Amino acid sequence: MDPSTTANLLLTGLLRGGLYALMAVGLALVFGVMNICHFAHGEYYVLGAYAAYFAYVTYGLDPIASIIIAAMLSFLAGVVTDKLLFSPLRKRSKGDWVVNAFLLTAGLSVVLQNVYRQVFGMRYRGITQYWNASIKLLGMNVSADRVIAFCIALLAIAALWVFLQKTRPGRAIRAVSQDEQGAVLLGINLDSIHTLTFALGSMLAGLGGASLLSLSPAYPFGGNKPLIASWFVVTIAGLGNVQGAIIGGLIVGLFESVSYFYLGQGWQDVASLGLLILLLLFKPTGLFGTQIKSVWER
Amino acid sequence: MLSVTNLQAGYGQLQVIWDLSLVVEQGEFVALIGANGAGKTTTLRAIAGLIPKQSGNVTFMGQPITGLAPHMISRAGLVFITEELNLFEAMTVGDNLLLGAYSTADKKKTNQNLELVFDLFPILKDRQKQLAGTLSGGERRMLAIGRGMMADPRLLMVDEPSLGLAPRVVIDVFKALKALHKIGVTLLLVEQNVNLTLQIADKAYVMEQGRIILEGGSAELLKNEYLSESYLGLR
Repeated sequence: MDPSTTANLLLTGLLRGGLYALMAVGLALVFGVMNICHFAHGEYYVLGAYAAYFAYVTYGLDPIASIIIAAMLSFLAGVVTDKLLFSPLRKRSKGDWVVNAFLLTAGLSVVLQNVYRQVFGMRYRGITQYWNASIKLLGMNVSADRVIAFCIALLAIAALWVFLQKTRPGRAIRAVSQDEQGAVLLGINLDSIHTLTFALGSMLAGLGGASLLSLSPAYPFGGNKPLIASWFVVTIAGLGNVQGAIIGGLIVGLFESVSYFYLGQGWQDVASLGLLILLLLFKPTGLFGTQIKSVWER
Repeated sequence: MLSVTNLQAGYGQLQVIWDLSLVVEQGEFVALIGANGAGKTTTLRAIAGLIPKQSGNVTFMGQPITGLAPHMISRAGLVFITEELNLFEAMTVGDNLLLGAYSTADKKKTNQNLELVFDLFPILKDRQKQLAGTLSGGERRMLAIGRGMMADPRLLMVDEPSLGLAPRVVIDVFKALKALHKIGVTLLLVEQNVNLTLQIADKAYVMEQGRIILEGGSAELLKNEYLSESYLGLR
C-alpha cells in the first residue's frame, strides 16, 4: 500500500472517527452517570440538524452561529426531557425503572420521530454545503464542511475534557458515576446532576447533527443511523466511559474507512458487524470494559 | 444541637428502630454503642435522610429535618461518614477531598479545612495524587473522615471507624476524632469497640435490638454492672 493511500485512509478515518466519537461520548455520559440505555440519542442529532437548517436557511444566520444555536437548543431539549420523563420516575420509584430504560427511551424515540413528522413533514431538509470551499490535506481535496465538522467535534470533546476534570459540576458528575451515596452525602443534588448529564449528552448529539447537515439532511427518521453508529462505538469500547468512547470512535472511524477501501460499500457493514460479533464473543465488556470505574476515569 | 424523638424506622416491612430518642448538645462527643445488628447504622441512616422514617422527629440546630432530602441535610452541616466510606475510588485523594468541599462557597474556608485535614492526617498529604482505591484500610478511613471535615460540618456522624482496622491504626483514628472534638466539632460516634469509645466520649447511648437500653455519662457507664458484664466481659 503506497503512502498516499495510507494517508488518505488515515484522513478519512480520522474525519469520520471524530464525529463518531462526539456521538458516542454523549451516549457514554448518559449510561455512565445515569445508567440509562439511551435509545433516543439519534433524535437529538436530528433536532440539532433541524435547528441548524432553519437557522441557516430560513433565518439566514451564518453557519457557526447556526451550529451553536442548534447545540443550545439540543441542550435545552435534554433538560426538558429529563425534567418531564426521567426526573418524575427517579422521584416516584426506587430506581428499578432504570433497568427498563431501554424500552422507555425506545418509546421516546418513536414519539419524537412522529412529532418531527407532524411538525416538519417528511421532506428532507438539507443543504449542499455550509462553506463553499475544499481544503487540500495530505494530497487530498476534502470538503471544508467535513474538516470543520471534525474540528468542531474535537473542540467539543476538548471542552468536555476540561469541564469534567477541572470544574466543580464536572467533578460532581464523575463522583455521581462512581458512588451515588457518597455524592449525596457531600451535598450534591443528584437530580440536578442527572439533568445536567442528559442535557450535555443531548447537546453533543445535536452538535453532531448540526455540523453534518450537508452530509446528512434532517428528516424525521434521520436519527436511526447515528443511533446505531453510536451504540456500535460504545459497545466496542465498553459501556459508560467517555475516554473509551473517544478512542472507540476513532478506532471505528479508521476501521470503517479501511474496510470500505478494501471491501467496498456492500461488504463494509458485514466487516463492522463481524468485528462486533468477534468482540462480543471474546471480550463482551468491550475493549476497555474491565477497566471502567467511572464515567471519565479508566 | 441534634434532637431525635420517638424515631421509628426500618427497611420496607422490617422495622428496625423502635421509639428511639437521643440528644446531642453542641460541642459534645456522644457515642452510640451496641452489638452487631442493634440498629446503630440504621439510626444514623435515618437521621441523615438515607432511609425514610416511619414516624418520629429529628431536629438539627433548631430546624426540623425529618423529611429533608439527604443532600440538603448534608448542606445544613450534618455530615455522615458511612461505614462503607463511599469513597470515589477512581479519583485521587486530592479530588476526593475537594469534593468534600462541594457545598462550601468560601474558598478561604476550604483551604483552611484542607490544611487542618493534612495536619491531622499527614499521610493524606503524602498520598494526594494517589487514587483512593489504592489506599490501605486505615488510610481510606482517614480519607473518609478528612473528606467529611472538608464539608465544614457542625455535627459529624461517624459509623464504626474502627471496624476492620489494626489496633495501632484504630488508635490513630481515635486520636484524630479526639483532636476534631477539641477544635469544636460536635461528634456522634457509632462503635462496637465499647471500651475505647467510652474512654474518649462524653456520654453514650447503649442500643440493643433497636432500642436504647442505657444512657449516661461515659464515666458512670464504665462502672455500670450490666454494661461491664455484657460488653466489656468483666465480672
